[in-house]
Amino acid sequence: MASLTPPAPQNRNRRVAMIAAGVALGMAGLGYASVPLYRIFCQATGFGGTPQRASEAQAAGVKIAAGRMMSVRFDANVDPGMPWHFRPRQTTQTVAIGARTLAIFEAHNTSDKPITGAASFNVSPDEAARYFTKVACFCFTQQVLQPGQSVVMPVSYYVDPKILEDKDLKGLEQITLSYTFHRVPGA
Amino acid sequence: MATIADEFHAHSDGHVHDHHDHDHKPGFFARWFMSTNHKDIGTLYLIFAITAGIIGGAISGIMRAELAQPGIQYLGFFADLLGTKNPSFDQQLHLWNVLITAHGLIMVFFMVMPAIIGGFGNWFVPIMIGAPDMAFPRMNNISFWLTVAGFCSLLCSAFVPGGTGQGAGIGWTAYAPLSTSGSQGPAVDFAIFSLHLAGAGSIMGAINFITTIFNMRAPGMTLHKMPLFVWSVLVTAFLLLLALPVLAAAITMLLTDRNFHTTFFDAAGGGDPVLFQHLFWFFGHPEVYIMILPGFGIISQIVSTFSRKPVFGYLGMAYAMVAIGVVGFVVWAHHMYTTGLSEDVKMYFTTATMVIAVPTGIKIFSWIATMWGGSIRFASPMVWAIGFIFLFTVGGVTGVELANGGLDDNLQDTYYVVGHFHYVLSLGAVTSLFAGFYYWFPKMSGRWHSELLSYLHFAVFFVGVNMIFFPMHFLGMQGMPRRYPDFTPAYAYWNHIATIGYMVMAVSIGIWLINIIYAFTMGKKAEGNYWGEGATTLEWTLSSPPPFHQFETVPVIKDEDHH
Amino acid sequence: MILGEVSGAFGRRTLRLALNTLPGLALIAAGAVHAAADRLAVAPGGYTPMKPTPGKGMPVDGGLTFQTQYSPTGLEALWMHDNIVMTVLIATTAFVLGLLIWVMIRYNSRANPVPSKTSHNTLLEVIWTGIPVLILLVVFVPSMKLLAHQFKTPPKEALTIKAIGNQWYWTYAYPDNGEFEVTSNMLSHEEAVKRGEPPQLAADNRMVVPVGEPIRLQTTGADVIHSFAVPSLWFKLDAVPGRINEKVLFVKEPGVYYGQCSELCGARHGYMPIVVEALPRPQYNAWVLTHAGAKIDGAPEPAAAPAAAAPAAEAASGTEVAAAASSGE
Repeated sequence: MASLTPPAPQNRNRRVAMIAAGVALGMAGLGYASVPLYRIFCQATGFGGTPQRASEAQAAGVKIAAGRMMSVRFDANVDPGMPWHFRPRQTTQTVAIGARTLAIFEAHNTSDKPITGAASFNVSPDEAARYFTKVACFCFTQQVLQPGQSVVMPVSYYVDPKILEDKDLKGLEQITLSYTFHRVPGA
Repeated sequence: MATIADEFHAHSDGHVHDHHDHDHKPGFFARWFMSTNHKDIGTLYLIFAITAGIIGGAISGIMRAELAQPGIQYLGFFADLLGTKNPSFDQQLHLWNVLITAHGLIMVFFMVMPAIIGGFGNWFVPIMIGAPDMAFPRMNNISFWLTVAGFCSLLCSAFVPGGTGQGAGIGWTAYAPLSTSGSQGPAVDFAIFSLHLAGAGSIMGAINFITTIFNMRAPGMTLHKMPLFVWSVLVTAFLLLLALPVLAAAITMLLTDRNFHTTFFDAAGGGDPVLFQHLFWFFGHPEVYIMILPGFGIISQIVSTFSRKPVFGYLGMAYAMVAIGVVGFVVWAHHMYTTGLSEDVKMYFTTATMVIAVPTGIKIFSWIATMWGGSIRFASPMVWAIGFIFLFTVGGVTGVELANGGLDDNLQDTYYVVGHFHYVLSLGAVTSLFAGFYYWFPKMSGRWHSELLSYLHFAVFFVGVNMIFFPMHFLGMQGMPRRYPDFTPAYAYWNHIATIGYMVMAVSIGIWLINIIYAFTMGKKAEGNYWGEGATTLEWTLSSPPPFHQFETVPVIKDEDHH
Repeated sequence: MILGEVSGAFGRRTLRLALNTLPGLALIAAGAVHAAADRLAVAPGGYTPMKPTPGKGMPVDGGLTFQTQYSPTGLEALWMHDNIVMTVLIATTAFVLGLLIWVMIRYNSRANPVPSKTSHNTLLEVIWTGIPVLILLVVFVPSMKLLAHQFKTPPKEALTIKAIGNQWYWTYAYPDNGEFEVTSNMLSHEEAVKRGEPPQLAADNRMVVPVGEPIRLQTTGADVIHSFAVPSLWFKLDAVPGRINEKVLFVKEPGVYYGQCSELCGARHGYMPIVVEALPRPQYNAWVLTHAGAKIDGAPEPAAAPAAAAPAAEAASGTEVAAAASSGE
């Protein structure tokens, strides 16, 4: 069909090539855009074990599911070469589903320099992340520890009662919240 | 095939060529270094691919030698040879990682792709659709030299520091953070840059093929009359166009993570190393179809020619390739089953991956149905093609096993995976390359290879590659991880067999090279359609080798509808 | 010949599977009854590393199929591989090979000098699309079941162990046993042979686990990505820096099970083996107590102050409380 229109083949070639190049550029753009898109996708769906965030007001509106409990485990890691001690004060907590709870982590700078840290985090099993909601967390901002300083780092969270309606998570008894502190370079 | 061009109508009035040299070829330098002729560029690609393939194959020779028995035997010698004097144990082990990385990158980007798309694609796509050349001959030239430059950049990386030792030891997958914070020194930058160059060349090539196939078909050559090889290159070009830019973006982000303090894939800055794997395999899975689809096309041409029958289920064959291409974009995370994917995600990717078996089955059965009722001549390309069908089936069925997320937990990153992908690539894509080589070599060179040597090449190659790669399934099931230079003595038996297989395979490559030398020195002259009845595509209407500029009178495809 | 050996191995496998499964289930049930009592028991005599059984939990030379499995999901996966997937694989390959041989004999140019011109058969095309779909469904159903079983989450009191991949060794943290850590380096060839262990697979300190109970195994990477893999337990999970992955590990029998790092992690990727030693609870507890500050998981502990009150108390006592940014800002 296309080959029946002889005039100006150069222009037709250029048009097809431009469209194809546009598609390639678009895919490259999508490649870069995938970084923020992936982040948004994870935050929205809990993909990759990304926990949810809620404001104080939202948290206040959550109903406690009476008598339904969930065990929450806390895990703490520090990048090698970062002179911090970092550990959860409690290994596990048993919380009422929907109830806002505070968990405490302890951090200590063992070096003689101020060190800035940023925490990465995830929730395991992955599917539970959609329901694990943080209201306040030390991980939302960078943390600076002066030489030798010790601090406690609180996390305020609740487990969304909607988890009880999720068939995939029937029988889930424990959720792990994990943090890893990384040294912020140049800070 | 439905494309019989038995009439040439003089249409030259409407087609004034830009070329200055209708009748004579340019001088040596202009012809081979500034070439804009699709056949010359195809030849260059083939020579380049053979060179790169020999280097990549030699690297696997070092690897097989090292794996012949437990312990480290040869890495120290080769590290020394490459310029690390008195290499430490870690530097020797680093060389191992450099070798596996180089072998993978060379075979994928600088052997299979240049040979099957750059070589055969350039040579025969324009001819098969009745076009005088590619749509953008000068861009074609740039594509080729970018690929060469990419190869040089990769070779350079072997001689500069890359962390523990010299060279990039990151695997062809280049997972962050091993490829970022895990490998200091410029070697990885060189390796990444080499992929940029080769990728840019391939994207330009893809644009060129798409434009050529859409716009430059001879009158009467509708999309549904195109030979299946052209279809396969068209689908491949689209896969390249959609997949390679994503790789380019991902490795550019690696580069900035390495050099400019960005944290796209660094958890310390809020990035996610697993995202790199998603991006890599979003490219990487279509990439395996990029390597095998043109092979499907070649096999279709050959099976049809030597059965003296049109391809069975032509439309089904064409759209099976389209289906494989489309589904190929939504299965990538089956390479990542152990990264901590959730249950639902694993279930989805398991299902989607198994679906690919259906269009692949259509292709296998259609080839056999093409042969069914045919009058089969076992010329060397046909022998290779039948070998391909069988070997590809073996590689395909192990893919069904690996597709299962639950089973893959014990096979991921083991030699089972190495066995599987070498069956579809080394025994699949490469076998189709040799089939295409013997099918078209007299057409390209004008001289006959020795059919006897071709059969011998096939027999020795078949025994060799099966000896190398079949035992790898056993090793993988027994748990041997891939990318290991050393192993516990319990893996010694099958590793030893595989190394012997490599030596057999190496002999077959020697036979092939002798065959080429034979053809150029003693080979008989080949006529235009040397395969005779059954060879119906347009290249068989031309002399062997074809004139420097073909189709100065445009062929008109008569409507002999076989569908 | 090879096919024959493989199918011979099938038969043996299936039989062994049938023999293994029933007592295995009984063991799990019995374990549940005795759990409360046994869980805190400590075997006398401390801990001596178990001698590996040749061929158990390790590869065998010239082996043709998977290692014998010692976990319930491993047995299920092996059963699926042996009986369903391999049947499909061998049948498909044999069918294609048979067709190829047939057309080569029947339709070579001597046997059939005049080719037919058939290039369509809609019915045939529908059949060879439809039948593979049906065959895939046969594979699909057990594969979904297997996935569901592999993702079954452990009970909250399940012992948690964290495997941390480092360049190039593993550390195993036992947060429920008093937070001690075990560092595990590969033994030299000579040392491994001396101890009667397979070279390249043996490590100085093992990851000791209790047998017959679900273990919540978590993995993370300290520097680059590693992968924790034990072939005889059908277990592989990547250790990714900056995040934790989790999967249930269940070992049915006491024994030593070897594995290796399974994600390229740099120069000594091949030199960081994994050794899992599964012991009955009393022996496991005895091993736990050989570590400083260790405690038996599940043992009653002194009541702690309610967590919510802690930061206030902390602040009053002079320790600073880090700024916890609120989501609602």
